[in-house]
Amino acid sequence: METVRNNKIDETVYTDTLENGMKIIVIPKKNTSKKYIIWATKFGSIDNNFIEPKTGEEIKVPDGVAHYLEHKMFENENGVDSLYKMMALGLDANAYTTNDHTAYLFAGTDNFYEGLDELMSYVQHPYFTDQNVEKERGIIGQEIGRYDDEPAWKLYVNTMDCLYKNNAVKLDIAGTVESISKITKEVLYSCYNTFYHPSNMIMCISGDFEPEKIIEEIKKRLLPREKMEEIKRIYPEEPKGINMKEKEANMGNSMPAFMIGYKDELDEDKVKVDLASQIIFNSLLGKASKLFQDLYTEGLLISQLDMSYEFSRTYAHALIGGESKEPRRIYEKILEVLKNEEVSQEDFERSKKKIYGSLVSEYNDVEDIGRMYLSDAIKGINSIEYIDKIEEIDLDYVNEILRKLYKENESVISIVK
Amino acid sequence: MESNIIKTKGFKTNLYAIFLTVPMNKENVTFNSMIPAVLRRGTEKYQDQLEINKKLEDMYGASFNCGVDKMGDYQVLKFYMEVLSNKYLPEKQNAVEFLIDLVFNPLVENDGFKKEYVDQEKENVKKLIEARKDNKVRYASDRCIEEMFEGEAYGIYKYGKIEDLEKIDEKNLYKRYQELLKEARIDCFSCGEEVEKIELPINNNKENQINNELEEHTIKNKEIKEKMDISQGKLIIGLNTPKSPKTVISVYNTILGGGANSKLFQNVREKESLAYSAGSTYIRRKNVIFIKTGIDTSNYDKALEVIKKQLEEMKNGNITDDEFDSAKQLIVSSLKLISESQEDLITYYFDQKLYEENLTLDQYIANIEKVTKEDVIGISKDITLDTIYFLQGEEKANA
Repeated sequence: METVRNNKIDETVYTDTLENGMKIIVIPKKNTSKKYIIWATKFGSIDNNFIEPKTGEEIKVPDGVAHYLEHKMFENENGVDSLYKMMALGLDANAYTTNDHTAYLFAGTDNFYEGLDELMSYVQHPYFTDQNVEKERGIIGQEIGRYDDEPAWKLYVNTMDCLYKNNAVKLDIAGTVESISKITKEVLYSCYNTFYHPSNMIMCISGDFEPEKIIEEIKKRLLPREKMEEIKRIYPEEPKGINMKEKEANMGNSMPAFMIGYKDELDEDKVKVDLASQIIFNSLLGKASKLFQDLYTEGLLISQLDMSYEFSRTYAHALIGGESKEPRRIYEKILEVLKNEEVSQEDFERSKKKIYGSLVSEYNDVEDIGRMYLSDAIKGINSIEYIDKIEEIDLDYVNEILRKLYKENESVISIVK
Repeated sequence: MESNIIKTKGFKTNLYAIFLTVPMNKENVTFNSMIPAVLRRGTEKYQDQLEINKKLEDMYGASFNCGVDKMGDYQVLKFYMEVLSNKYLPEKQNAVEFLIDLVFNPLVENDGFKKEYVDQEKENVKKLIEARKDNKVRYASDRCIEEMFEGEAYGIYKYGKIEDLEKIDEKNLYKRYQELLKEARIDCFSCGEEVEKIELPINNNKENQINNELEEHTIKNKEIKEKMDISQGKLIIGLNTPKSPKTVISVYNTILGGGANSKLFQNVREKESLAYSAGSTYIRRKNVIFIKTGIDTSNYDKALEVIKKQLEEMKNGNITDDEFDSAKQLIVSSLKLISESQEDLITYYFDQKLYEENLTLDQYIANIEKVTKEDVIGISKDITLDTIYFLQGEEKANA
């Protein structure tokens, strides 16, 4: 078991990789009665083409299959729905699918071990029939319909479409009504057998636990599985550069929403690029920047910009989003600032303090902790690194990232009116 | 004014809050909703947002938040300051002083707020009100509330009306602000491991107690359909409930639509596959339950039939032990989770104080535990349909 301690924030993280290849991360937290567990497989909407390790056969699955599989996991042979059962235990149980992972989780103050029994039972016992697969089609169809009405979702998908030519990150996670019509129980079993193998899975637990003890409890509940070779995923070749400069959609918004994107093709430590980007955005475009004040005073922005850096196995990009009656003017102004300005020593110090504060605040709630460690672990990162790396980062590096990623790199814009 | 301390352990932050509560009324609603927006623009000491925000970032990312809420028949102006607790700070920060400054020492010019700020914030509130339609689910819920409580305080939109904005200027708004400080009930909360007590710089009348008698609600019996360019219709149904006992109604609501094991979720979603989301919310302080679901426009009649059937089942006492036990369990566990969030703790105790119930969380949980199935069946006959609101898209064939 590997232990990483950070004295500044008074937290310790325990990581263990079991013999079957499964990784378990425990972040103990005293003085809390809430417990949180999240169990994920590195299987998301981008994993739609792979070599089945057992047969060596290349498989292409319909878009939206990871999400469909997530819905069906709660089904059991005895007819009991596991979500129902966990809620009846007073646990806040849920599941979700992103483009690079699918996660099953619950939080609660009581009945943790009953919940653990159920979670580890249903995730390890798929039960798909023609009938129960068919039943889900209508529900997922409604879910897709709900996303179609969300301007924020459209905005994001269109930004991805601008940034990437082939990368599956631009596809709807749930697929389309057309693509899910091709999903059968055979497809689900094939994906399950490949991706729901312990060696492709990570579990994070946060709450008042003794790390060794809880890891033992988990081991007891794991079913034996044959060893599996590493899964070969086939991703489409992504050409350098952006796919298209801009995309507009009309959804009857009273105030247009916009999202600016930068594709990151640098070969750098992504955690450091993430932190540098946060410092750049906070200094030049954040609430305490001159640009924001000017745009706010002119009435071009009514709330702060949403700025983030996202990355995973097959992509990395930075996003700047907001709402404005004149999105194109905002776009020009943002580009002007990113092109012509540098981060000053004063802004740099202040931004670092702010980011330190927000990193520490993440440790208030076991749910935030678990989710953060899980999504970082999917990318091969231990979240606790961020605290030291924000201290170590220097201004020259930040301005170098500013030059490479935001001055000399092409941007895209998506607008939803 | 009351200054309360809530001790917590295990949090990295301290949270401070100041709430100004006044009765909701048409005359003042828009004025009141403008006040937090203008206060956050500048104080005597930090005259613009650039200075305020620089100061907050320098305090290791302290965050100041403010907003307007509707609670029962009241409008509440809320101000929050969150800051790292001393243990994690290289040097102590004066968060309380800053919060007080932001609420009570605004930038004043010629007996008014700064004109520029008021003009800009009028525009912003206008945009905020116009943007209501962008979030379809919330918009449909708000519209149902407006229709069900037409002509009543609770039917007033919390940000007010666009027409009122024209009447507002830097002088009359400042005057309203001064009145508000005299009229409002003021509650302060400090939540954390080692916190400072909030001492207000003004003399607020201690007797500004709130009259907790609710305005009488007139039953509407409405069925309203509105069209919008959306792919999925949003159906919201308002039910009237008795005034008490609230714990019993709370269990009723959870059996009906409180989670994955509720009658609505199980029937509208799982059995009939009509919707992705289906559930209900109990507004304790207004004696009303709202059922919410998103469906294909063509399934309106079917969905309504399934929902009405569930209400009938409740009335007929068709509640299984499983349904009953898991509903109680769900309420109890969500109550236990309140202690895990400083904001939720403050919200809980504020509500308890405002409505003079003063129950600790443990007492409240014990009251829920006491509810029996017979109690729930007993009140279910007194829960009645009031308003059906449907935000519909164009009819389309099922793909």
